[in-house]
Parts: sequence; C-alpha cells; structure tokens
Amino acid sequence: MRISQRAFAVAAILFLFAPAPCRGESVLLAMTEIAAGVFVHNGVHEEASPENDNAIANIGFILGDDAVAVVDPGGSAKEGRELRAAIRARTDRPIRYVILTHVHPDHIFGAAAFLDDHPSFVGHAKLPGALAQRGDYYLRRLRETLGDDAEGSEVVAPTILVSSRLDLDLGERRLVVRAHGPAHTDNDLTIFDEKTRTFWLADLLFVDRIPVVDGSLVGWLKELDGLTVIAADRAVPGHGPVSVPWPAAVEAERRYLETLARETRAAIGVGVGIADAYREVGQSERGKWLLFDDYHPRNVTASYKELEWE
Amino acid sequence: MIGRLFFFLLLSLTLAGPASAEQSEAERAARWSDLRHAIFGDRVVEDAGDLVVIDAPARAEDAAIVPVAIRLAETLAPEILSLYLVIDGNPSPLAAHFLFGPLADTKEIATRVRIDDYTYLHAVAETADGRLYATARFIKAAGGCSAPAGKDQALALERLGKMKLTLSARLKPDAPIGAKLLVSHPNYSGLQMDQLSRNYIPADFMQTLDVSYNGRSVFRLESDIAISEDPSFNFSFRPADSGGPGVLRAEILDSSQRHFTQSWPVPAAPQM
Repeated sequence: MRISQRAFAVAAILFLFAPAPCRGESVLLAMTEIAAGVFVHNGVHEEASPENDNAIANIGFILGDDAVAVVDPGGSAKEGRELRAAIRARTDRPIRYVILTHVHPDHIFGAAAFLDDHPSFVGHAKLPGALAQRGDYYLRRLRETLGDDAEGSEVVAPTILVSSRLDLDLGERRLVVRAHGPAHTDNDLTIFDEKTRTFWLADLLFVDRIPVVDGSLVGWLKELDGLTVIAADRAVPGHGPVSVPWPAAVEAERRYLETLARETRAAIGVGVGIADAYREVGQSERGKWLLFDDYHPRNVTASYKELEWE
Repeated sequence: MIGRLFFFLLLSLTLAGPASAEQSEAERAARWSDLRHAIFGDRVVEDAGDLVVIDAPARAEDAAIVPVAIRLAETLAPEILSLYLVIDGNPSPLAAHFLFGPLADTKEIATRVRIDDYTYLHAVAETADGRLYATARFIKAAGGCSAPAGKDQALALERLGKMKLTLSARLKPDAPIGAKLLVSHPNYSGLQMDQLSRNYIPADFMQTLDVSYNGRSVFRLESDIAISEDPSFNFSFRPADSGGPGVLRAEILDSSQRHFTQSWPVPAAPQM
C-alpha cells in the first residue's frame, strides 16, 4: 500500500539520518496491513531492553470509517507515541478506543501516549484488580530495564470493562471484544474484526515464542477449545508473525500446554519437588520455542502450583 | 497484638541499609551479626557443621516461590525444640519459627519462601537445653517479596483458607508419617503498591499454624510475609498411638484475625 510504504520510508530515513535518538511523534512504528484496515507491528522475540523499548509484542490498530481502535498501545510510552504517529500518518479519524488485551507490560505501557486523544480504554473486568496488584511492580521493572526510555510510561486504568462481550462500532466496521476466563492471565481479551474476519488473539496465541502461563494452565486449555471453533480467515498472535492461519497456528501452543499439564501432573504424582520439576517436565519441547530457558522453568513452577491442588 | 515477627520486620528496617547483590562478604557478615543479636541477644550461637543442613536451589527460578528444606542430623533431631529460618536480605528477615511438639519428627521440614535479594539463609536449631546451632546457605534470587502475586485472583478469594493434606503410607504403628500441607492464602507482603489508588495493598499473612495429631502438638509455626503465597509445608510426625486411626488437625490464624481449621483422618497402620 502506497501510504504505508511512504511512512516506512520516512521512518527509515529518520533512523538513518537523525543525529540523536528520535523522540516523540517523529518516529513511526513500522506497520504491516495484514487485511484491509488492520495494521500490526511485529514485536521482536527478545526480552525487554533499552535497545527495543519493550516493543516485543505484536500491537496495532484497526481503522473504521469513523474512528480508530488501538489494539494494545505497546510496551512503553515511547512505543505508544510511535504507534500513534503511525496512525496519524494514515488517518485523522479520532482514536476512539484503546483496547488493553491484558495486564502485561509489553502490551499496556504505551497507553499514556494516547491520553490526550481521550479515548475509552477497554479492558477485562478483572484488569483493574490485576493492575492494582502488579502495576507498580511492572512500572518499576520497566524503569529499571529501559532507563530514560521508560519516561512517560504509566499505569492507565481501563474506563470500559468487559465481563463477557462488547461490540465496538468504528463506522461500517464492528469489532467483537470477548472477555475470557483465566488462561494466559486472568484478564485476557480477544478481538474479532467482522469485516475482514481477522481474529486478534493477543497473548492467548503464541507462535514461535514460548507461551507464558500466568493465569491458569487448565483454564487456558479450556479456552482454546472455545476459541478454535470460531471461524476466521486469519489470526494475530500476541507474539509471532503478524498474521497466521486460524486455527492451524494454535496447534504448537496446545501441544506445549498439554505436555506441560500432563508431565507436571506426573511429576507431582511421583513426588518430584517444585524446584526440580522443570528439569523433567516438557523437555521434548526444548528447541521448539524461542526463549525456552527464559520462561519454561517458571511455567513449570506456575503449573505445579496450580495442579498440586487437584 | 502485632506479633513478635512483625516486630522484627520493623526492627530490620532500621538496621544497616538494604541488602543488595553488590554487598560485600563483610557487609553480609555484619548483617547476620546484627540479626543474630536482634533475635538471640547475647546467647552463644554455635556453628552447626553437618548437624543442620539447608537444602535450597543456589539460584531460584522464581524468587517468590523458593523451596527450602531444613534437615537435622539423626543425632541432633531428638534434642531440638525449635527451628528458626532467617532470610538475611529480606525486609522482614525472620521468616519462620517452628516450635516442635511431642509428636514431631524433626529430621526434615520444608516450605517455600520469598527472597528479595541475593542473600544468606540461616537456619538455627535450638535444643531443649538452650543451645543454638546455626548453618548458612547463599541463594541468588531477587524481587520475591514485592513480586506480584495472584495469577487467578477470583480463585484465590474463593479458596482462601482452604487446606490440602497429602500423607505418605502408614506402614507400621511406630513409623513416622510424612505429610505435605498446602494452605490457600495470598500471604500479601504489604510491599505492593496499587498504582491506581496509590495505596499499598495491606499485608495479610498467615501468623500462626498449629498442627496436631489426636490433640497433641506436632508443631506450631510462627510465620510472616516471607512465606510464599499459598504456603506449603512438608513435615513428619510420630503418631505415638497403638496404630490409629487418628485425626490430624491444622489451625491457622492470619494477620487479619481470620481463623481457619481443617482436620483429616489418618488411617490405621496395617495389623502386624
């Protein structure tokens, strides 16, 4: 698409010739238009660092005839400003909604960049509770990790809460926002764009990068059963390529989660301790996921804590 | 009553600066010296050698859930009345004090703790005649006390105070029985701030746990915010009856003055 190519070129030129790191609106986040009016930025498969500004998740926006909805404002106010600039390079329509798909820092800390637009911030009914528990900790960690690049990032409370389903009208375009039971976190939202049959799963779907269990392993597997019956032309994972076939792309994640559940139950059954379980559980998954050693041991600990109550 | 352990929390905040990964060995030694005096006064604390052993991972995968087991030598175990677990670098260093009852089998006790910074752990065993034996272990972990808790907050609320007990097989009337006790409790540390309200989430933690068998004490635990969310304990007890059956009972009082009790049948030993 012509506009996006130009925007990309502008961004590239700014990167090449800017004498100092660019700030504010001048940098545009690189976007891919995966379906008409659906734009996704591809997060890098890394841990948060000053080099990546915590731009590690797939985030983006959906363009209607009347308004724009942001789906995850990004991992820092800086990424949020760059996303906003990328939107403004394409349209002057109001940014009416900023959807926060869940509490994790790589998805929400860009929200502050949109405060001046006065959008509705849409979140799961359990998001405020999760922000209360974790927001402070996440913000301190972000500041430690990004240093000056965390500047302006803050915890923004949702103004519209979703407990089951909410339809958003962007003008000739309806988005169906669904709230899910405890899975990746206890406050996961998905968004279905009816116009292009694009299913934005955020972190309920990990592709290539190892899934993180921070809600309920059993709950996540249950949610997958409900999600995979929803027909869509494509899906947007929270981490992975910007567009993947649905539901085929979920199979690796399901296999990992099922393996985790089965082998953690077995470890508990034979009395393997919580600290040792990760050495035995899920080793067949090693090599199949990026960042395996960074997250797998914690996934096993979380699963163990959940499953030992069964 | 706030409780003695919470007093040590307040006290520790006034002690020499916060611990950190960069602390020197001399600073760590000074920290332990301060803590030892705060907890044990002028009493002599002997080096336990091999008599007391702390088993814990050298580097914790999750600083909010660090499993720690304390083992006592066969020769020392019967002499032991109580056991202290101190996490030097934590904001509230005295993590747990186990007071053993007549039915305790003290050879090993295990729990899971929060660790806030690279730190020494100290286990101090106290004998009936008042001697103290200490051992130390260094652990690399950070952020456990202020780490976010609660992956599924609705479940945590619904399950609050519920307990789960798993017993090892009872093979002989006089053999010790191993037990694993899980308690559903968030054990809020009071160190997490709610960014939206700008208030700290109040501390809400298990203060005492009493475990008894047929009305006789196995152990009493005085504990604190350093015990992980959903506290877990592995211990053993000697039923000291003619082979059962009997009843194991756990009783909890938390810092919000909630009281939780649960009992489980202990099957009889097979007829010899």
